[in-house]
Amino acid sequence: MSTATSPRWSAGERLRFGIGAVLVAAMFYPTVWMVLSALKSNREIFRTPFALPSVWRWENFVEAWELGRLGTLYLNSLLVTAGAVTLCVGFATAAAFAFARLEFPFRRLSYRLLLLGLLLPPPTVAIPLFTQLRDMGLLNTPWALILPGAAWSLSLTVFLMRAYFNTVRPDMEEAARIDGANTWQIFWRVSVPMVWPAMLTMIILNTINIWNELLFALLFIVDEDKRTLPVGLVRFYGYHSTDYALVFAALTITTVPVLILYFILQRHVIAGLTATAMD
Amino acid sequence: MADAGAGRPIEDRTAPVAKGAVNLLFIAPAMLLFGLFVLWPVGSAFYYAFTHWDGFTAPRWAGLDNFQRALADSVHLMSYVHVVLYILGTLIFEVSFGLLVAVLLNSDRRGFALMRGLFFSPVVLSMSAAGVLWAFVLDYRSGLLNSVLKALGAGELAQPWLSQPSTALIAIMIVSGWKYAGFYMAIFFAALRRIPRNIYEAATLDGAGPAVQFFQITLPLLRQNAMVAVLLAVTGGFAGFDLFFTMTNGNPFGATEVPATWIMKQAFDKNQMSYGISLTVVLAAVVMAISLVYLRVSERLSVHRY
Amino acid sequence: MQVLKGSLALFAAALMTTTALAATEIRITHATTGGAEKEVLDKIIADFEAANPDIKVVQIPFDDDVYSNTGLITQLQSNDVPDIYFQWAGFPVKRDAEAGYAMDLTEALASDGWQDTFVPSVWTEGAGTMVDGKPYLVPTSLDVTNTIWYNEAIFEENGISPPATWDEFVALTKTLTDAGEIAIIQGNNEFWPFGNWASHIAAKVVPPAEYTAAFERTGKFSTPGFLKAFEHIAELRAAGGFNRDLQGLGADPAMATFLEGSAAMHPIGSWLIGTAKELADADFRYASFDTPVIDPDHPLAHSVIGTATGFVVHARAKNPDAAIKFLKFYTLPANQVLRAEAGTLSPIKGVNETANLDAQTDQMARMLAEAPAMVPPPDTTYPVALAEAYYQAAAYVAAGEKSPGDALSWLDETVALIAE
Repeated sequence: MSTATSPRWSAGERLRFGIGAVLVAAMFYPTVWMVLSALKSNREIFRTPFALPSVWRWENFVEAWELGRLGTLYLNSLLVTAGAVTLCVGFATAAAFAFARLEFPFRRLSYRLLLLGLLLPPPTVAIPLFTQLRDMGLLNTPWALILPGAAWSLSLTVFLMRAYFNTVRPDMEEAARIDGANTWQIFWRVSVPMVWPAMLTMIILNTINIWNELLFALLFIVDEDKRTLPVGLVRFYGYHSTDYALVFAALTITTVPVLILYFILQRHVIAGLTATAMD
Repeated sequence: MADAGAGRPIEDRTAPVAKGAVNLLFIAPAMLLFGLFVLWPVGSAFYYAFTHWDGFTAPRWAGLDNFQRALADSVHLMSYVHVVLYILGTLIFEVSFGLLVAVLLNSDRRGFALMRGLFFSPVVLSMSAAGVLWAFVLDYRSGLLNSVLKALGAGELAQPWLSQPSTALIAIMIVSGWKYAGFYMAIFFAALRRIPRNIYEAATLDGAGPAVQFFQITLPLLRQNAMVAVLLAVTGGFAGFDLFFTMTNGNPFGATEVPATWIMKQAFDKNQMSYGISLTVVLAAVVMAISLVYLRVSERLSVHRY
Repeated sequence: MQVLKGSLALFAAALMTTTALAATEIRITHATTGGAEKEVLDKIIADFEAANPDIKVVQIPFDDDVYSNTGLITQLQSNDVPDIYFQWAGFPVKRDAEAGYAMDLTEALASDGWQDTFVPSVWTEGAGTMVDGKPYLVPTSLDVTNTIWYNEAIFEENGISPPATWDEFVALTKTLTDAGEIAIIQGNNEFWPFGNWASHIAAKVVPPAEYTAAFERTGKFSTPGFLKAFEHIAELRAAGGFNRDLQGLGADPAMATFLEGSAAMHPIGSWLIGTAKELADADFRYASFDTPVIDPDHPLAHSVIGTATGFVVHARAKNPDAAIKFLKFYTLPANQVLRAEAGTLSPIKGVNETANLDAQTDQMARMLAEAPAMVPPPDTTYPVALAEAYYQAAAYVAAGEKSPGDALSWLDETVALIAE
């Protein structure tokens, strides 16, 4: 289909490039509009929605940062995401190692149970989980997001990690065993370095999912100063919804760093996010 | 779905590195976490669904009361109609559109990689950011869409998109398409890259045009990926909450009420915990039934294929 | 050096333990998150702490929607209950008293003549502060829950003045619409903003017995009286009285649009005044008129719609004495004057008369003083599900989704499904 060998563009390629460019420009335009609007005054956003800002109002960002306490929100999101991803990927790698390489009682049953999580959408437990966390005294603490966040990412992570283990022959582990290493040493010194690329992919996948998580964060945290970014943004919008410039500034502050990170790590991010659907 | 594709049962592998109950320690942390925060609440949901419970005082046994009420609750029933429409929308605006763009942008020429990267970028944003951004794009008075229409001299087409029952659901489908078409594009693009180029070259020599090639070569070879894409769209659609919550929260007049938003309203706005929980049990049953039917069907298709 | 550091830490720890032992902490949860009202609250708390160095006041604030949905109820039920919580008079107080969250304040109010510092009308069964003759809510403000705010500049440009009758009101709405203005802006995505107004319209048209019977579920909504009320709503719709994005717009954005000068009228409660102080430009001129007389012969023709709000002491409060001490301080006339000057009407005798009120608060005070009757909003008087069904039926008519007759039939069918 593609004829990269020929130095000249065919008519079909030009057409496809043209259609693609228009399409992608239309899709990406709201993001550009968001950033430009964040630098305008409200009056300008209404009067000249398509123009560049007449004066670039960088102070909008300062105001949104302070009013929305975005620094606190960023820190909360970082804490929750780091905690949940560490627990999830760490526990899942150990479990995937066991399911792929070891023999022990209840192995099949445990694995089947774990896969049940792939079939259940999180809204189905939000309410009982809410009362459970309340009774455990975890409601309104970062643990209310870290523990369920990690738990709900386990099924997919174990599933994908085990699949990865199965693509690598256990020769290295066998060799280590013959050398007298115990199972923990085999796991820690041989298997982990071996599956490290897959773990990185899982870290990216889970980081994006947990960073963006809204439902649990909305229900399990009530204090303003413990909120994560997605909830803070929705609340900020609710309160300042007519101060367009301010909300656009907050939106820009919360999305542009993510977009920049994405463009830097593009290949890994796409691999991570689509890991679910790859065969 | 790596392992399922290979069709290799779990026993059928090389000899285990180690044996014995002590190895349970490797799965213990994961199982403990999973048991405590997934299995336990799911189990308790099945119990509370059969009770009258406000979330605080002792639950009273209710038998099937909650489920009878769920069947009589017209907003609840309509929420499934809406979510099915939404899923059909995602199959068009996300899966099919993503497939078309994957084919369109499948080229090594300069610029195509950048376009693919830009096209994928909304996938990494949070639903709440996407929802807030699009609430502004679709705003009646000063939204981008109505501004564009006015600038094009089609001001009479300007609508309060999210405020009227006739346009709200389709507006959400389009936003969902904007957010996720890139995801399906990436899946299909990766699969397209694995189709050997000489198949197309041979077809071109045989005089097959691009449309014929698409339907006779590309689509059949992508069938497995398309099946996975459809499963993800369907199960993801039933669980859909974030976008609906941020953009309309079921409004106007329940036109965008989906199971997840209605459940949250029952349980928290209206303080009827056990009724809300019984609705989650219904939702879980629906999603699991669909997934199992899907697995059956896809197994049968795979058997035919090989 | 190391030794010194260690002993310093020990000393600091000891100091903290002693202060922790000495201080009594009272926790107060509420839904005041911004505006002039929040500044006054912070100041009163600071003054109270200065006067009572042994008591520390901890605030737990929420957005009002979170507060009424999950914020309050989860706290009331938790092991660590707030000592004082904000509540709306009426049905919520009754529910809290029956559930055992609210403390009976009979004794506290009787001491030092505290109860007599309030205007007597707040201590009636209808005011929603008492349950079975016992007071449970300390009212701290009187809210008009719906009145019609208008932009004076837009009225002047179009040569119109506040209407005396409903027909004049519909006519001026049409004049404004025809002139290309947004006549009335409302954000009704949560149903209560227009719902409150629609109940006031009904209260002024429907015979009182018929109105009460329908809401108490001994009668139907499909009656000639309610039909007439809904036809008035349809009439206003025909005159361009409802913005097209009525059902998609939030209450706050609609208010902000009005305060920005983009719409001629905005029907909402008296709390607009506090928000205006924060959001509106200094040269923004606005005033209000109440929903005009529709049927001059109706006993509630000149009524206003409103309710009291205030604080409840939790029945399981750790420090009830300190909590009551704080509420007494909070309702001192001097502190209530501060609140009134920030735009909140006080239920304490003499406060609204002596405070230096701005024009709009003063107008509210006079309206309340002159009104022969006060209609409470359905969502603080009847079960929430019932009130919401009525609000939605009214919204159907305002949005043009259903005819008045169809909306009322829908309402009767929906109400029949609500469990007792």
